[in-house]
Amino acid sequence: MKRILAGAVALAAMGAGSAALAQDIKIGVLYPTSGGGAIYGGPAMVGHNLAVDEINAAGGINGRMLVTVARDSKLNPAAAASAAKEMVTKDGVDVLMGGLSSAVGLAISEVAKQEGIVYLATIPKTIQMTTSKLHPHVFRTSSNTDFEGDAMAQLIKKIGGKKVCDIQLDYAYGHDLADGLKAALKRHAPDVEVVLDLRPKLRATDYNVFITQIMGAGCDVVTSGLWGSHFVDFAQQASPFGLFNNIKAYISGGEVASHEIAGKMGDDYPPNVISNTYELWYHAVSPNHKVFQEKIAEKSGTKETAMWPVLSYTGVKFYAEAVAKSGGTKSEGIIKALEGMTIDTPVGPRTINAADHQANTGQFWGPMVKKDGFSYKVMDPVTYIPAEIK
Amino acid sequence: MTSPLSKTGMAACLIILILCALTPLLQSDYLIDVVTEILIVALFALSLNIIIGYSGNVSFGHAAYFAIGGYVNAILLTTYGWPLLPSAVAGVLAATLTAAIVAYFCTRLTDIYFAMLTLAFSMLVWAIVFKWRSLTNGDDGFTPVHVPAMIDDRTAFFYFTMIVIVVSIAVLWVITHSAFGRSLVAVRENVGRAGFVGIHTRRMRWQAFVIAGFFAGVAGVLFGMYHRGMYVESAFWTQSAQVLIMTLLGGIYSFFGPLIGAAVLFMLERLTNEYTEYWPTVLGVILLAILLFQPDGLVGLGKRIKNKFGGGGSP
Repeated sequence: MKRILAGAVALAAMGAGSAALAQDIKIGVLYPTSGGGAIYGGPAMVGHNLAVDEINAAGGINGRMLVTVARDSKLNPAAAASAAKEMVTKDGVDVLMGGLSSAVGLAISEVAKQEGIVYLATIPKTIQMTTSKLHPHVFRTSSNTDFEGDAMAQLIKKIGGKKVCDIQLDYAYGHDLADGLKAALKRHAPDVEVVLDLRPKLRATDYNVFITQIMGAGCDVVTSGLWGSHFVDFAQQASPFGLFNNIKAYISGGEVASHEIAGKMGDDYPPNVISNTYELWYHAVSPNHKVFQEKIAEKSGTKETAMWPVLSYTGVKFYAEAVAKSGGTKSEGIIKALEGMTIDTPVGPRTINAADHQANTGQFWGPMVKKDGFSYKVMDPVTYIPAEIK
Repeated sequence: MTSPLSKTGMAACLIILILCALTPLLQSDYLIDVVTEILIVALFALSLNIIIGYSGNVSFGHAAYFAIGGYVNAILLTTYGWPLLPSAVAGVLAATLTAAIVAYFCTRLTDIYFAMLTLAFSMLVWAIVFKWRSLTNGDDGFTPVHVPAMIDDRTAFFYFTMIVIVVSIAVLWVITHSAFGRSLVAVRENVGRAGFVGIHTRRMRWQAFVIAGFFAGVAGVLFGMYHRGMYVESAFWTQSAQVLIMTLLGGIYSFFGPLIGAAVLFMLERLTNEYTEYWPTVLGVILLAILLFQPDGLVGLGKRIKNKFGGGGSP
């Protein structure tokens, strides 16, 4: 009797083992796909799905297929945290991915810590995630505010700026970027003086009071992290004053060089802007990049694609590589595999630092200029500034 | 309407209570999480109903007390390393005190003016949480919240939440079914007459508001610990709107209505989100349906069905 029982147990164990081998790998992904966040979350899902489709078409990872379980993060951290927990406890996802705003990223990171599951932050930039709130289960494949500030300081030095007016939104991202920039200026150009620190509110629409202050401060460079519609409003109000013509450059983080902004603004895009973006549909760094852009264009239904797909795509690729390398989906193995891992992304090789779990994701930076054949401003020349803090 | 719990009602409560308590036996982390969250939002909705259903005023700013309870407890536990009991008590007291101050002004007004003033005060709380970065970490959210080891485990936290919520609901039941609760209903039904029979109507409305603030604070304390984080969105008017809809959906003229509304709306949102991102549309339709066809909520609907098919009872 005992022997029969033992045999049955062994058989059952074997069955369970082989079933686990062929099991799908579930990725829990959270991007804002409704409301105001959908313009970011929609393109991010395109990149995510492309990576998943590519991996599955090539036979999956060790024969296991990738399956996406997606939830709307609603740009609301508590809702995103609940959804993330649900994906872990109900859907049994093997990894969490995504996030957009800093708060949502930190909320998902907290769930990852509690549940002992790996979270790859593909878009959130808050520096806290990989510094004060770092834990073994969180990794970031996007850039961060320290890298962004460092690139801005390098650019100020390059164009010979002396007096800087800094205008940043009065919320987490703005504050973090201002801090990153100031620290970087000490490293790269200690003689540069920040003469004005302005903090318009998040979702502000009237910048007149700030514009006149900048005009009167006598700075030769304006630095900023006004993103999206903030930049559009600021530029439209500042242009009649000639603000952009009176300075050497308006050096901006917040990816206002992305096609989403430049294409939308057309001729209203101001002169002397130097800014950043993760991706430019009209600039390919390699044949692989070109192929990637074509695939994204096909999935998006337009060749003038957004910059978000490359970020979500890269996150999936890092995870897939980690599963292949560790031979499974166990968090401990994935963590070990991701630490120090280098993969080839469409925009070049990226490495995750083992110590702080941050990928060296730099960005394309350059002046936005008028060019033949385009009805809007484009970046030229395009320079990739690597993510290194020296 | 405010009759004591009938025998069947008592039995139903007991059965639900036992079922809740047995949840962890099912070995599903998901179920434990869901029941924990429902218990928390249910208390939040019940607390709001003290203002709406019992004192007859609509508050658009109830999230403020929820957020204050959650933030004060989270900050004291984490930043200052307080033990759970004093920290939770301080969180609830801070919520109650704020409610007392806000109510002092709001109860001077009625109807839409009351509602607007509650909204204004709650947005003030939101602005403070948003701007006071050094303390609350602003819109990055206050994470992580240090939860004492004793209740750090999922099941332990579930039982802790359940005990706190059941005791809170019992206290609310006693309050609403006391002479005080009945006088409140009198105030709701007719302020003028209630005043004539000697009820200090404004003070009663003030007391109702303070009680509501207290229990919203309790819910907030639990919410922050459950999520291991507090976020500015919890103080925003959308949070107030959500709990208001839960209360309306369940039915404001019944003690347990908001509890049912909270559970139903919470599960509906969860299940909808699994299939589509159009939850706001679904929510809009639900709200329209309640306001147009079912002003007394699900409980009212249940009563009507019972009267029609069960035949028993007076209409």
